[in-house]
Amino acid sequence: MEVSLGAALGMLLAGAKITLILSFLSIFLGFVLGLLVAVAETYGGKIVRAVAMGYENIIRGIPLLAIYFILFFSIPIMLGIGMSPFLAAIVGLGIRSSAYQSQIFRSGIQAVDKGQIESAQALGMSNGQIIWHIVLPQALRFSLPGWMNEYTIVLKDTSIALAIGIIELTARANQLVAVTVEPFLYYGMAGLIYLIMVLTVSYLSGYVSKKYQIKGVGGMIRA
Amino acid sequence: MPEEVLKVVNLRKKFGENEVIKGVNFSVNRGETKVVIGPSGAGKSTMLRCINRLVEPDDGKVYFNGIDITSKDVDIRKIRSKIGFVFQHFNLFKHLTALDNVKLGLKVVKKMNDKDATERALEALRAVKLEDQAHKYPAQLSGGQQQRVAIARALAMDPEIILFDEPTSALDPQLVGEVLDVMKNLAKKHVTMLVVTHEIGFALSVADEVLFFYNGVIWEKGSPKEIIYNPKKKETKDFLGRIFELYSRGEEE
Repeated sequence: MEVSLGAALGMLLAGAKITLILSFLSIFLGFVLGLLVAVAETYGGKIVRAVAMGYENIIRGIPLLAIYFILFFSIPIMLGIGMSPFLAAIVGLGIRSSAYQSQIFRSGIQAVDKGQIESAQALGMSNGQIIWHIVLPQALRFSLPGWMNEYTIVLKDTSIALAIGIIELTARANQLVAVTVEPFLYYGMAGLIYLIMVLTVSYLSGYVSKKYQIKGVGGMIRA
Repeated sequence: MPEEVLKVVNLRKKFGENEVIKGVNFSVNRGETKVVIGPSGAGKSTMLRCINRLVEPDDGKVYFNGIDITSKDVDIRKIRSKIGFVFQHFNLFKHLTALDNVKLGLKVVKKMNDKDATERALEALRAVKLEDQAHKYPAQLSGGQQQRVAIARALAMDPEIILFDEPTSALDPQLVGEVLDVMKNLAKKHVTMLVVTHEIGFALSVADEVLFFYNGVIWEKGSPKEIIYNPKKKETKDFLGRIFELYSRGEEE
């Protein structure tokens, strides 16, 4: 079957749109969870810390595909609650990314110099105020390059969501290949679209890092 | 009648088996400048940190305006906001301008609105002669300027006493003077201060009393002239001898 290049590109871009939406929602979910886990690991009590570390290690130890199957197939059978493929795709990728983002944020938090925390305490600030006003603004800046890198990983791993029926970029390429039997062309085009997206993010990463760099601190945003 | 702002009674602190503070006693009256001298690494910084409980003391009492602030019932954060603290390494918030460094405590702890906080912060920066650097970030300032911002940050909170932990020890020699000048000014204005320092000249010119901290206790105390020129105890003499020797060797240190 013949497919015009324009029509094929349209299909792939429609898939890329789903890829982007999925990646934004997943990285956001991962951000919220990852930051919570990182704060719990650094400032939590013994039990909170153990729970956070356990979560991180377990999630990092399970392949994303398995997380998807657990969410989409096992949990509905076990608990009798199902979720839509799209929601499962976001939740799965989001929690997987949270376990990596928490590591990025944790090292960012640990890079904030202890003297500043002491001087904030001496001013009479509470722990919550110190985390909010002193630690996070600096830790997030330190985390930015690693976080943008994590985003490129999430962006590419959205392709695994095709296993639970999400028609994103790779799934679109599959469909095209199935009807045209031209794998080189359509997987190649899909690959090129991924590459353009990733390179754009890398470029933005440098720009954003520079923009939010702490003034007077040279090089990469390090204290 | 002198009014006691701070009174430390039999303060003790152990790190593991190592008892660094072995029963310290002294008091600071309102408007006074007291200088603590003594060998490095002997626990002077720890002693200062025990006062506002940045380090929790093991035993002893700290009275602030007559209230025992080592008591568990005391809201230590509220007390800390009334005790200024200036650190050896400045500890400015690196992501904030000089002005915002000074403003943060006013807004977050004292709950001042932005306009009042700005006004108060600029006033404090003026007192350390850094009003024109208000919008610079710490990394854009010299060490001496950073320390003056740190002093302004403490000052802006309108503290009843300011504790200084070797405020000039991390500075290049040519920058020490500007910080000491600011501190001398505060002393002349009768800001209550407790200063841990090796700057003997500063002690001589503004201290009301000098405390020699040695072996975990206040080994000897007296007027600056007594302690510095005519110490009674051998350990005090030895320590001062080493300090004078250091200074007579010029700018090496």
